[in-house]
Amino acid sequence: MSFHVENISYKYNAKSDFILKNVSFEIKEAQVTAIVGPSGCGKTTLVSILSDVIPTLMPAGELDGSFDAGDKVISVVSQSPENQLFGYGVEDAISFGIENMGLDNKEIVERVEYVLDLLNIQNLRKRSVATLSGGQRQAVCIASVLAMRPDILIMDEPVSSLDPNGKKMIQSVLKQLRVTGQSTVIVDNNLEWFADIVDHVIGLVDGEVVFDGDKNEFFSNFEIQERLGVTIPQEVEIYRELSKKVNGLNPFYTVEEAKGAIGRLIRTGEYAEKQMDFSVSEEILTAEGICKTFPDGFHALIDVDAGFRKGKIISIIGQNGSGKTTLVKTLNGLNKPTKGIVKYKGIETSGKSVAQISKDIILVFQHPEHMLFEENVYRELTFCARAQGIEFSEEEALEVLKRYELLDNKDDFPVNLSMGKKHLLTILSVLFSSAGVVILDEPTLGMDLYIKNMLEDIIRRLAEKGKTVIIISHEISLVFKISDEILVLNEGVKLAQGSKRELADRDDLFDQINIALPPVVLLSKYFGFTNICCDVDSFVREICGRMTKN
Amino acid sequence: MGDFLQYVEMDSFLHRLDPRTKFLFFIVMSILTSFVKTGVALLFLFIVFTAIWTAGHIGKYMVVLLKKVKVLLLFIFLLWLVLGAFRINEGPVIYRAAFSLFGSSHTLSLEWFDLYKGAVFAMRIFLMISAFYTVILSTNFSQIILGLRSWNVPYSVAFGIGLIFQIIPMIIKEFSTIMEAQSSRGLEVDKCGAIAKMKNYVIISLPLLFRVLGKGHSISLAMHYYKLNFKVKRTSYKMIKATYADAVFVGVTVLATAVTTALQLMFYIPL
Repeated sequence: MSFHVENISYKYNAKSDFILKNVSFEIKEAQVTAIVGPSGCGKTTLVSILSDVIPTLMPAGELDGSFDAGDKVISVVSQSPENQLFGYGVEDAISFGIENMGLDNKEIVERVEYVLDLLNIQNLRKRSVATLSGGQRQAVCIASVLAMRPDILIMDEPVSSLDPNGKKMIQSVLKQLRVTGQSTVIVDNNLEWFADIVDHVIGLVDGEVVFDGDKNEFFSNFEIQERLGVTIPQEVEIYRELSKKVNGLNPFYTVEEAKGAIGRLIRTGEYAEKQMDFSVSEEILTAEGICKTFPDGFHALIDVDAGFRKGKIISIIGQNGSGKTTLVKTLNGLNKPTKGIVKYKGIETSGKSVAQISKDIILVFQHPEHMLFEENVYRELTFCARAQGIEFSEEEALEVLKRYELLDNKDDFPVNLSMGKKHLLTILSVLFSSAGVVILDEPTLGMDLYIKNMLEDIIRRLAEKGKTVIIISHEISLVFKISDEILVLNEGVKLAQGSKRELADRDDLFDQINIALPPVVLLSKYFGFTNICCDVDSFVREICGRMTKN
Repeated sequence: MGDFLQYVEMDSFLHRLDPRTKFLFFIVMSILTSFVKTGVALLFLFIVFTAIWTAGHIGKYMVVLLKKVKVLLLFIFLLWLVLGAFRINEGPVIYRAAFSLFGSSHTLSLEWFDLYKGAVFAMRIFLMISAFYTVILSTNFSQIILGLRSWNVPYSVAFGIGLIFQIIPMIIKEFSTIMEAQSSRGLEVDKCGAIAKMKNYVIISLPLLFRVLGKGHSISLAMHYYKLNFKVKRTSYKMIKATYADAVFVGVTVLATAVTTALQLMFYIPL
């Protein structure tokens, strides 16, 4: 049995425009359906309608059309499980929904046991929710809604704030659900992490369905992928770009398939002299022997030495708890190291306040809501400049807003922007700061591909202006694409720091931190490229170059 | 200490007690400390409390509480000291002086009794707060809800109380993160004058308000997703049952109440 959404149109009030316009599609039973689309396309509104939040909790809008939910149970897993889980312990949180259904105790116990077994999280049952990792918390959240035996499980960007281990855990949970025949809807513009799980894709643009088809159809439709601003798996991106240049290329969606398809075009082996990274610039920021032990005895950083060169883009990678955030908070003075010193341009930063340090080292937090407070976008953009007493011209500010398509929102209340634009705005505000070092913590959070491309542009411009950009990111493809150097942390210890190509050679390192190298790197190594390609464009160029030589 | 004002997870006899036993302790001690005004009785009660905290391994958290409320206690102590200084009491005098103000004569008289009185009022307030804190430290919000439900408190009320204790740590964390985020981009919150600091706190309050509203919205959505309906009879996964340890603890509470009351009657000095 499938579920039909028929001609749904919705607007929040009589005066506003329609957010959804004649939306019709089918949620097929026992399949995983992806709903994708750029920021502001109406995905969240659609989830609210499917889950009956509209009109039950939000009756003010105008809703037309139908969704044959009837008395079916539709459960939602949100992107922030900490806001969804009720209960101190894992068992309390899982049983909350079924207790609300008034089931008898025996039935509740059976269902709790069933979901703990199903998701393989029996080991968490006596833990408190607060002590769980992001992935574990999301798994408990899924368990809590599955215990209610939903007909449809809707997941709204369920891995957006998870580290690679957390993503793997949720991937495995989803695969398990697929086996059990659970009908699942995933609302996420990043298809990279669930491409191999999804069956059916619905694409929304400006509140209208512009694509409704199966996964293979979606991955072979390059025009629609770009229009929807979807982050697709890098393998698919390689195929998309390569097929523009190579006629008759066999489609591939995985690294293994790519090896076969590309292997028919080129021979493996080394062709060129290895390029070395000779560009040496001064270290503008250094951390020497940094140790940080928290009052509860947890050693967050253990004797970390790191140098950050002028005008370079350096990414810090590692699983949650590896010390990434602690390190950057130590660099900008938020954390006082237990031992060790931080120097900016050779001068120790200790003794300065965080605001004073921000004139040299500025940190942008991952959740824009923690930063936004001005009454309009223009003032928010220029906040850092005003706080630090840096001169700027209105023309300059308006030019930035125009370049990043925020000019129309100039007088809007920043909090009302889409998540991606809010994040973009907080990052843009550092353009007007005096800081020589800009630190971005998970800068892609909430961004669609279109805004991510703008972000890359901002980062490159900052580096071109001689600013050092330090990025914490779990998006490993982006890390390899944009960084000059990578610093690897694991359990508070620095494992390595070097150019991305140096580190790409070290499989042992990535095995140790349990993070997979991007497909372009894996394929470069498989085909024996002397210079490992770190982004799709250079990889495609390399393939085409080799084809010419062949 | 980041875990101030919230449950601390550990395995102690206090943590294992039935939440109803701890509620009873809190109610009895609140009533007791509101009428006991004798130093010896309060001192005895403090010794009982200390023994409970030591046995429950929460002593260090009580020291943190003491540090947090020390200004309040000092204020109470000084207030009663100042008020007492304008009254002449019996007993040993520390300082006494007569002066005239606007034509009328006054006597400033500081006696040991004033110190005693200040100490008694400060101690009462500390014991009241610490009785509440003892329950909060050792009872998580799910147990609070369960305990209240078993006393036939309507689920909407019990859930609301539990939710407050779930949300308080979230708001504290949000406030701290917003402070960090704003100072990281140039807002001076450390090295500035009191007025600038207050202005900056106002600036910080806006994102905090939006975050709290956002969290409230998310929580109300989650309540909907989990089909929470206060009109529907709810069942329970966990059951609570009093044990021998609860009986012992109730016994200690009753005994401590009796002894404190006796000490109050024996050593009472009108304040």
